[in-house]
Amino acid sequence: MLQKLKYLFIAVVFMVSVNYSWGQCLTFAKNSCKATMGSFVHDGNYNSTILSEGETAELFKTFFEGQTYRIAISKVDDLPPIHFKVVDKTGRILFDNKDFNFQMVWDFSIESTQMLVVQMQVLERPGSKDKISGCVSVLFGLERKAK
Amino acid sequence: MKNIFYSSIKLFGIVIIAALLAVSCNFDGKKGQKASIIDTVEIDSQFIDNFAKSKLIFYSLPSPLETAMLIKRAGVVYNEEILNPIDNISKYTTNRQMALNLGIYSADLSYASLFDQTQSSLKYMANSKKLAEGLGIMDAIDENTIKRLEENMNNRDVVMDIISESFMNSNAYLTENDRPALAVMVLVGGWVEGLHIATTLSNISDDNNQKLIEKIIYQKLSLYTVLNLMETYKGSNEDINELYSKMNELRVIFDKVKIVNTSNVEAQTDPEKRLTTIKAESETFMSKEVFESLCKKVKEIRSQFIS
Repeated sequence: MLQKLKYLFIAVVFMVSVNYSWGQCLTFAKNSCKATMGSFVHDGNYNSTILSEGETAELFKTFFEGQTYRIAISKVDDLPPIHFKVVDKTGRILFDNKDFNFQMVWDFSIESTQMLVVQMQVLERPGSKDKISGCVSVLFGLERKAK
Repeated sequence: MKNIFYSSIKLFGIVIIAALLAVSCNFDGKKGQKASIIDTVEIDSQFIDNFAKSKLIFYSLPSPLETAMLIKRAGVVYNEEILNPIDNISKYTTNRQMALNLGIYSADLSYASLFDQTQSSLKYMANSKKLAEGLGIMDAIDENTIKRLEENMNNRDVVMDIISESFMNSNAYLTENDRPALAVMVLVGGWVEGLHIATTLSNISDDNNQKLIEKIIYQKLSLYTVLNLMETYKGSNEDINELYSKMNELRVIFDKVKIVNTSNVEAQTDPEKRLTTIKAESETFMSKEVFESLCKKVKEIRSQFIS
């Protein structure tokens, strides 16, 4: 009976910690991701979640002509790098951070308004059986003095 | 002793079910959703395949701050009369009214502050704080936020940072506390107010401000983002259902607006500057009649939101 109670207790602690970690993504986004905005102002939108190794996410956004945007992707230290691409509505790849050593902060100058998609995938550690999970945030910065 | 054990197990059982419910609520409408993209913009099949495989989809609307920057860049003037009156706040008692008008006042605050309207900005921030409190997200905008705003009113960069942080806090607290539908309503309220400000100002200006009309035309793309964002919660939330049908009324009008890319979207990357320039040739068309019916519909929806 005590053994059963022990398992139940562990299960409760696990559930509560998962729930708690969701709330922690805001703190993570504010403390870690916003710091990468530099001279850009964060647009105020909140896009954060918990991802595991190998998992993907996509973000749809309209980018407006004359504005330079900073896309800043942040992850908790333990997670492997994030592979991210920016594609147009036909799937044409416009930027791939794989070509730039998996940089997670990049600027985009928009000369023609477009709806673009930011595709992300958490890379997997080779040969690892366990999968690590953690907060991933995508923030958009706006150049303060647009052209 | 045995009874105590059974009681303990019952108690743990209840706690576990509650924890499971809490977790499932957090994940509800987010993970594993195969949201359907509104297929008015042409999209190839490979793209849809990739999209469907994704575990998580985000839809990012132009925030109140971004919209205000777009409006200001179109060369318009400040006009306080078109904003939601400060005193209207006493009308907002339901969660839906508070969420929509938190978005609306956030848009008004962004517009006022970009035009250095100190007193109005403080009033709109105070209203946003009251609505955030009404929604139970006291920490989103607190006394310290107002104080920092007062102290930095002459520093537009700091003011923009404060507005950005307040909006992010409101959005995040609602999303992460099992109230994502309310977070969506805040975003929709802010987007509609931005559209209201833009359409109204374009009618007021003598030359019908072509730059501003161009920005309005491209809100057609943002509208698809709005609709897809709402799709996630449609069906499970009556308020979202109703708002969705209003946004669909806007869509019927926007469908008559033409945006055509006449070339491929091209990108040039400068690795040293860590900058990619994205360009394409495109043509847009919106008839006078369509523009008038769009302005009328925006006015109608926005009036319902603020009354």
